[in-house]
Amino acid sequence: MMGAALSRWTMAFFAAALVCLLGAQTMIVLGYGFPSTAVEDPQTLVLVHMVTIGWLSLLMCGALFQFVPVLVAQPLIGAQLVLPALICLVAGLASLLAGFLQLSGDLEIGIAFLPIAGVLLPMGFGLVVVVLGRTLLSGRPLPLPARFVAAGLACLVATASIGVLFASLLSGFAPAGHAVDWRGEALPLHVTAGFGGWLTLTAIGVSYRLLPMFMLSPDKERATGTTVLWSSCAALFLVLVAVPVERMLGGPGAAWHAACLAMLVAVVLYGVDLVFFYRHRKRRNIELNSRSAIGAFAALYLSVALLVALVATGTLGQNIAALVYLVAFGWLSGLGLSQLYKIVPFLTWLECYGPVMGRKPTPRVQDLVVEKRDMPWFALYFCGVLVGTAALLAGMPDLFRLAALATLCATVALVVEMVLVRRLFNVAIAARLPEGTARPRLFLSSSR
Amino acid sequence: MTQPYYDLDVRPVLRDGGEPFSLIMQAVSALAPGQSLRLFATFKPLPLFQVLGARGFDASAREIGNGDWEVIFTPSGAAAEAEQRTAMADQSGDAWPAPVDELDNRDLEPPEPMVKTLEGVEALQPGQTIAALLPREPVFLFEELEARGHSWRGQMEPEGHFRVVIRAGNPQR
Repeated sequence: MMGAALSRWTMAFFAAALVCLLGAQTMIVLGYGFPSTAVEDPQTLVLVHMVTIGWLSLLMCGALFQFVPVLVAQPLIGAQLVLPALICLVAGLASLLAGFLQLSGDLEIGIAFLPIAGVLLPMGFGLVVVVLGRTLLSGRPLPLPARFVAAGLACLVATASIGVLFASLLSGFAPAGHAVDWRGEALPLHVTAGFGGWLTLTAIGVSYRLLPMFMLSPDKERATGTTVLWSSCAALFLVLVAVPVERMLGGPGAAWHAACLAMLVAVVLYGVDLVFFYRHRKRRNIELNSRSAIGAFAALYLSVALLVALVATGTLGQNIAALVYLVAFGWLSGLGLSQLYKIVPFLTWLECYGPVMGRKPTPRVQDLVVEKRDMPWFALYFCGVLVGTAALLAGMPDLFRLAALATLCATVALVVEMVLVRRLFNVAIAARLPEGTARPRLFLSSSR
Repeated sequence: MTQPYYDLDVRPVLRDGGEPFSLIMQAVSALAPGQSLRLFATFKPLPLFQVLGARGFDASAREIGNGDWEVIFTPSGAAAEAEQRTAMADQSGDAWPAPVDELDNRDLEPPEPMVKTLEGVEALQPGQTIAALLPREPVFLFEELEARGHSWRGQMEPEGHFRVVIRAGNPQR
């Protein structure tokens, strides 16, 4: 039974992540990458990795450094490795993007950036896995949300390993590379392990704790939650291991069907749990973070419906971009933004007012934000994602860019709001800094 | 931040009639600076208190049932370290006075359970205790109690909430 401290670098992770999100959205608006260029074009690769590594992975890592110690009630083990991890990841991402630009011929410098990225990124993610993994190990037996995180970390290792393979193939370091049909065989594994494993499993795990916590719902572990964990892990194992093996041996495709079935069980039961949390909440008026999260959950279920429809009509291949866009921007980014809207004020409140809590009157956490002002931005964001997905499906690139502009505007507004939160801007001046408190720094949380 | 204990369970060795002394000394030499050793034994290992006391460790022992003992050897180096230890989760067996109040903070939204609990703690005289029911294990509260020099005992209740009893330490601002 131990306390958990504020994670010192989490705000820096969030800031770097949000910069990448804004950058990626701006690229889409400017028509950089898909759909102007092909899916496998280096420009699209720049865009995709800006979103997946820059925005989503940095966001998730920053959140987990704060969240895992709370989940397992143990201090973070190896906290001094968090900053090196951030530096490796940011430098590795920059090298990766530079490497892609070299492939497209946009950047002509005689430095081999892809192999550098192939070292820095695994190093950064490796540090993340070591710190979080050791902390999880010290907190056994793990509660359900932490088991999701552990499974997500395993998938992160898989995703990064396949990524390293790609980096060495693309930079011509692997002579045997030509024997591998990397786009047909390995790319779907990379995408599935990344989106379905690392990002989605951890997002689900985090939601199992944050939703009941902020809506005051019962959060005793239920059989449905455990089934979601095991069936999603089974689905991932089947897709990542059993399906390729079966294909190699020339089997009838049973593993793929079993994987689909397991995935459906997982998403249906996850939906059952989500409805349970919202319906059994003790708090009638839920806050904007929990309300806007509904948009993200809707996007998750739309993604599943779209996947089923595309598979059924045999058009998954030509519409994969629309599906990935909906998963990345609707489900994962939507959930990320909606939870940031709570996490940033909460951590800022704790950092600033924790030392005088119970001794002096303090503002409430809700006083750090103005929900009425921000609700339209969340609505605009999710509408933009929906229209953007439809535009991709309908093959209307200009409408897609226009819809992306809407999400960009909404994101800018929410980022401005988070900066204001860190600055305590929305708190009445008289109540802002009681004696014994200090104004939080923008990116670096103070430690006690 | 405090380091996790280095755990060593010599009960199986003792039950098999073995001699765990070398194991224990190996563990002691493997400790990180400032790290404590948590030893589980089938008796209160008084001779060890002297041996490790001479090496600069303070021992605190408590019976954990079935005649077994848990002993924590803390390096008594820096004063700050010792202070941190006393403020941590209270593991000693001595009796605490009955709580002056019993707060039910289960149905409050975060961070109100923590705020109300600390308001109660701040109203205590040193040595007095207060009990609070909380919706879950209050990890941020523990951190704050530790920073303020209070000690606590707590556990999850079968109903799914957490009950904590906090004893006010000496006032330090």
